[in-house]
Amino acid sequence: MGTARYIARRLIFSACLILGVSVILFAMINAIGNPIEILLAERPGMTDEVIESVSRYYGLDGSVTDRYFTWLWAILRFDFGTSIIYNQPVSEMLVTYGLETLKIQIPAILIALVVSVLISVMAATRQYSRLDFGVIAGAMLGHSLPGFFIGILLILVFSYWLGILPSYGAYSTRNMLMNSTLIDGLWHMVLPVGMLVFFNTATLTLLMRSSLVEVLRQDFITAARASGLPERRVVFGHALRNAFIPVLTYLGILFGVMLGTAPVTETVFTWPGLGALYIMAIQQLDYPLIMGETMIITFMLVGATLLTDIAYVAIDPRIRLA
Amino acid sequence: MLSTLASAADPTPMAAPKPLIEVQDLKVHFFTRDGVVRAVDGVDYGVNPGETLGIVGESGSGKTVSSLAMLRLVPPPARTVGGRILFEGEDLLTRTPKQMAALRGRRIAMIFQNPATSLNPIYSIGAQLSEILVWHEKASRRQAEERVAELLNLVGITDPLTRLRQFPHELSGGMKQRVGIARALLCNPALVLADEPTTALDVTIQAQILELLADLQARFHMSMVLVTHDMGVVARMANRITVMYAGRVCETADAATIFSAPQHPYTRALLESMPRIDQSYSRGARQKLPTIAGRPPNLLNPPAGCRFHDRCPEAIADCRRILPVETAIAPGHTVSCIRRGSPGIAA
Ligand SMILES: Nc1ncnc2c1ncn2[C@@H]1O[C@H](COP(=O)(O)OP(=O)(O)O)[C@@H](O)[C@H]1O
Ligand code: SF4
Ligand SMILES: [Mg+2]
Repeated sequence: MGTARYIARRLIFSACLILGVSVILFAMINAIGNPIEILLAERPGMTDEVIESVSRYYGLDGSVTDRYFTWLWAILRFDFGTSIIYNQPVSEMLVTYGLETLKIQIPAILIALVVSVLISVMAATRQYSRLDFGVIAGAMLGHSLPGFFIGILLILVFSYWLGILPSYGAYSTRNMLMNSTLIDGLWHMVLPVGMLVFFNTATLTLLMRSSLVEVLRQDFITAARASGLPERRVVFGHALRNAFIPVLTYLGILFGVMLGTAPVTETVFTWPGLGALYIMAIQQLDYPLIMGETMIITFMLVGATLLTDIAYVAIDPRIRLA
Repeated sequence: MLSTLASAADPTPMAAPKPLIEVQDLKVHFFTRDGVVRAVDGVDYGVNPGETLGIVGESGSGKTVSSLAMLRLVPPPARTVGGRILFEGEDLLTRTPKQMAALRGRRIAMIFQNPATSLNPIYSIGAQLSEILVWHEKASRRQAEERVAELLNLVGITDPLTRLRQFPHELSGGMKQRVGIARALLCNPALVLADEPTTALDVTIQAQILELLADLQARFHMSMVLVTHDMGVVARMANRITVMYAGRVCETADAATIFSAPQHPYTRALLESMPRIDQSYSRGARQKLPTIAGRPPNLLNPPAGCRFHDRCPEAIADCRRILPVETAIAPGHTVSCIRRGSPGIAA
């Protein structure tokens, strides 16, 4: 089996990718200039001497390569330094905020996946029916509406008009719903997850339906039916698994899109996640935080791609030897 | 005929065996945006127990569609709009979907034209074949795999235990078709529909597969419908032959009669376009084989009268007007051509 080797190759490739991003990131940050000068520039009484000593304190006086390797060695130990504005270890912040981001994104992708599979099966097995056209139209609409628009709409309806769901934050500031952190947390998740589910379901349904329609036309499906297998098995066992292969590739991309639009999502819902934190870090030029965030997002993206690659091998035997 | 000759074992007063499956006036139409495509438009044929019926016709004559109709699997936008399909005396068109599913793969099985696309690429050979046995015969996974291995062996696949774990893409075309044959035979079906089982294969493999099919058919006393566009194939394999053209049957007779005394002009034309063993053809000369001029009609708006009239060397004025109806000109020999005495329906 080439499976182990395949996974090993993907792992090495992923590591190289992360390393590459780290080099580019470091070079870009370095190109902005000495952060001390930028951060302290406007302050009164800034002499060259002070700047020099502060630079030395932050280890900014060495050569670029020295500094890069120092930083690299630190981040390999999951040490991203201390946030300038929050005065907290960046690694701790990344974990806290990262979990909040994953808390809405992972359920959203899983729910969207299940919902879109069900909708796609209904539509594709009734190709060209009214239901099918309705699904296509709905999915196209959902796919073309910007996510934040849906988010604002949800807030308007459920928070402002109906007043049944919270529109911001991950937890209540004062009284927890039913005195339970868990229930209160779930309650706050509904709208942001809802928005992401809406967006992802639309896109995934478009993709999955057309893939399924394509597969259902194939000879091996007719052959499975001709063998007397029940329609349920033909559709879910034989067609869906094949139809899922192109969708799988897209799942990795979709996760990337969600991470990329996390600043928007989290701004709309004032969600304390990586996206909101990133905006803050950039606005305040919090160097360690910017660098830590970039690295952790790279890591998550590469991880997602790696996972889809591995899932690919698990589903499709044909790429095993490739 | 109130014959007292009918014995208890054979309730029919006729000497002819009772067909295992009998297709009567079958009509399958495609309801497309452009209109109704009359792909199969009043077709009759029957298969007796243990015999091979060859169905011959040019590409597009409705062979595949009528075979799928026997399993009630015509693909949308097609629908079976008329006729009867009597299998063991009962009309399949009146069966419930559940009854139909129980019949498929168990009593009637199909071998597909393209082995490369008719096996599921993501399941191992063992998984996709044993699934069928587990489903139909409530066998355990292990029993099923044993039986699958046995069958793979029977269809000439060496080292079946290894093959069980392999995926379709790891097998050659001929090997895949053998798997397709094994799949059809899993439950000992009474009838096997083989839709151009060798068309997609290399010439050298074709002969092997045909031999295998003939061998298995005799061994299991199955009935077989062998669909092909190749007269050479039916010559080797079929007991009886049905010639189809543009969604209708031209002629049906036993194989010897079709080759020695063909009656329908289309059958004759087909035979003339067949390369013959007793003549040698050089590469260039092969092109000079007589071919039938023209193309089959568009089934969206089939011409009135006989569907073969614009290509028929014997056509007369009436052929454009009268649709010939199949009629027996000798026992077991039916023809649909007004110049051979078939009655017709005037347009
Ligand atoms: N998807 C389709 N839409 C419309 N007509 C079709 C479709 N598929 C097949 N047909 C019609 O059915 C006819 C018979 O097809 P088929 O049974 O596959 O022919 P054969 O197997 O004899 O080559 C074709 O000539 C074509 O007119
Ligand atoms: S009916 Fe006329 S056109 Fe048709 S096959 Fe006979 S002679 Fe030819
Ligand atoms: Mg065909």
